[in-house]
Amino acid sequence: MAIQGSFVASILFSYLVAACYGATFSSLQNTLVVTASPHAGQVLKAGEDNITVTWSLNTTFPAGTDSDYKTVKVKLCYAPISQQDRAWRKTVDELKKDKTCLHKIVDKPYSPSTNTFTWTVQKDVPTAIYFIRAYVHNSADKEVAFGQTTDSHKATNLFEVQAISGRHVSLDIASVCFSAFSVVALFGFFFLEKRKAKASQKS
Amino acid sequence: MGGWSGRGGNGDTERNWGGGKVKRMGEEERRWGRGGEREEDPIVRWWGPMGWGRGRGSYGLRSWRWGTVAVAVEGISWLNMAEREIGSPGSSMHGVTGKEQSFAFSAATDQTVPIDSTAQFALPVDSEHKATVFKIYSFANPHMRAFHLSWISFFTCFVSTFAAAPLVPIIRDNLNLTKRDIGNAGIASVSGSIFSRLVMGAACDLLGPRYGCAFLIMLSAPTVFCMSFVSSAGGYVAVRFMIGFSLATFVSCQFWMSTMFNGKIIGLVNGTAAGWGNMGGGATQLLMPLLYEGIRRAGAAPFTAWRIAFFVPGWMHVIMGLLVLGLGQDLPDGNLGTLQKKGDVPKDKFSKVLWYAITNYRTWIFVLLYGMSLGVELTTDNVIAEYFFDRFDLNLHTAGTIAATFGMANIVSRPAGGLMSDMAARRFGMRGRLWNLWILQTLGGVFCICLGRANTLPLAVTSMILFSIGAQAACGATFGIIPFISRRSLGVISGLTGAGGNFGSGLTQLLFFTSSKYSTATGLTLMGIMIVACTMPVALVHFPQWGSMFLPPSERWSEEYYYGKEWNKEEKERGLHQGSLKFAENSRSERGRRVVAVTTTPDSMPASA
Repeated sequence: MAIQGSFVASILFSYLVAACYGATFSSLQNTLVVTASPHAGQVLKAGEDNITVTWSLNTTFPAGTDSDYKTVKVKLCYAPISQQDRAWRKTVDELKKDKTCLHKIVDKPYSPSTNTFTWTVQKDVPTAIYFIRAYVHNSADKEVAFGQTTDSHKATNLFEVQAISGRHVSLDIASVCFSAFSVVALFGFFFLEKRKAKASQKS
Repeated sequence: MGGWSGRGGNGDTERNWGGGKVKRMGEEERRWGRGGEREEDPIVRWWGPMGWGRGRGSYGLRSWRWGTVAVAVEGISWLNMAEREIGSPGSSMHGVTGKEQSFAFSAATDQTVPIDSTAQFALPVDSEHKATVFKIYSFANPHMRAFHLSWISFFTCFVSTFAAAPLVPIIRDNLNLTKRDIGNAGIASVSGSIFSRLVMGAACDLLGPRYGCAFLIMLSAPTVFCMSFVSSAGGYVAVRFMIGFSLATFVSCQFWMSTMFNGKIIGLVNGTAAGWGNMGGGATQLLMPLLYEGIRRAGAAPFTAWRIAFFVPGWMHVIMGLLVLGLGQDLPDGNLGTLQKKGDVPKDKFSKVLWYAITNYRTWIFVLLYGMSLGVELTTDNVIAEYFFDRFDLNLHTAGTIAATFGMANIVSRPAGGLMSDMAARRFGMRGRLWNLWILQTLGGVFCICLGRANTLPLAVTSMILFSIGAQAACGATFGIIPFISRRSLGVISGLTGAGGNFGSGLTQLLFFTSSKYSTATGLTLMGIMIVACTMPVALVHFPQWGSMFLPPSERWSEEYYYGKEWNKEEKERGLHQGSLKFAENSRSERGRRVVAVTTTPDSMPASA
């Protein structure tokens, strides 16, 4: 059938595309040294606390490794425990489809010397366990290297962020008011009509 | 002389539309099939050059066309369902209108609807003052106003029940939900109404549909506002459960329609009201992300913006509740409270009605089937926006728009399913209806499989649209058959079927969309396979007098015998089964083109030599 044919064709095409353009995480070199201010197990409050990230090139690598490094993108990433039972945060090798690092901290042009950046944890960061990873992109905006605050198993040096609740006292009060209005209006109408019916029956 | 001779009160009313007797379409087909016996065909009179606008003809024409749909899709109201003629067991409102009319049982097949010519309503009404035509664009009090109030109330409840679904990508981050939590909340949102629909039937009988609707919609408004308090998975599940109770407005909607519209058109009216109400599940996928975006751009944090967005469905509840109370009325002549006229209608025993419903195997097959049409529709309302957001990396707004087209297809697909059922019945009778249902529902399942397997966005959207048309048309087609399963227990069977729909939704969400064992895409594929498999039992539904998908009818059975079997000897002696007999006669249209001249004594099978 035509549909099946185009189905197969689109799958093949997407594989081709991936093979040509999609970088995979396993192909990246761990050439950056990244450290962050939260120590292991620390709990940070979204919207209030800061994270200071520091990154630099790992000097043990031969000179010229960073010849095509253009920009550094630092991201907040989910630790495996926060990915459990949550397929929308899944780690996939193909970087285009990878959902491990969904929160951007900063994008900065690359320089081999030590860079720092202080970031206030944004209000839309959910409650979870995190680490920090920095991707290095070349001039074609393709990932070529990375560095992260944790080990290769993503098990050490993890910290927690406590999200805002999103609740506000004003919202709660408004909610109660409207609810009360609804109930009162209903029963008011009901009893008023009952009384009118009784009155018209008597007369 | 044309005009109306007499009105309700005695048994002998006949409508005289310029001289001809008006017949139902099914009757017409039959008569044309008989060789030589070409009676003057009122339809030709109507549509002929002189026929248009004759007397009060212009709206009668429309009611004719749609009357054929009504023949099939007759009535979905809850306990009230049995009444078709006034004075028959289980009549509406316990005979509150007080206008009884007795029809002498006769073998004549004319289906005259006596029009009350002295009534001062915007639409023509019968002797119970129920409208006999359905003018969609009118807001005339009381009939069309009741229609619009009830379908919009039902729509509102669908909006609020599924309002969380398109916002799940935000809510799951705010409340730290797992896939299990999200699945449980989805199940909870459809489970509550299984019970509330049962209670609503009683409430409508006691308080009238206006108060039944208003009570439910205004008492569930606080549950919608409660979303602003939710801060954990447990709270989220609980609030969605409570909001789900409001889906019982389905019952008040259908009940209200059957107090306002004559039995001949009640099928179309109920089908349209149900379909347009179900649309709310689609509209909400569009509305909520839009609200969320707007509120977020106005400066609120994402985790606060979605809570504020929930105020809008809450306000809709309150506004509709007030409108229903202020503008609506229970009955064409007024409100229940002020119109306490009690007739002495023999009311059927609930235990008997229940018994004949649950001992009819067809009931249970349709409970399963409706779970695979309405059930999967509700499930998809809950999961589809999140699916498009995650699988194809769309933003919330776009995912919501695509998901909305799923639910919005209801505007035409549900009525179309009923219409196709009628068209099939005209040619092939009940066998046509059964095949029509099987085809539509199986196609829906096939496209659900395609939706799960689709890897590209255009293919996924196309599959989703075709899936929606299949499933929703199957819903309409289901209620084209249900009225024929039983005459006595129609209300209970309709209610059980409706509950089966919700149960099917809970079950499919539990099986396919709660555990992390497989992805949502796989879940959709598996659900599609389940639809195809669980639609096969349609082949088992056999009406002895009409046949089934693979078996022809048995010549020995008549419609009278089938429907008469629900009454025992004593009840027949008391004449309680007269309504069933009349219905049996009318249902002969389900034989399709196979015309049989039948004169049977009602109480026995015609003996074959």
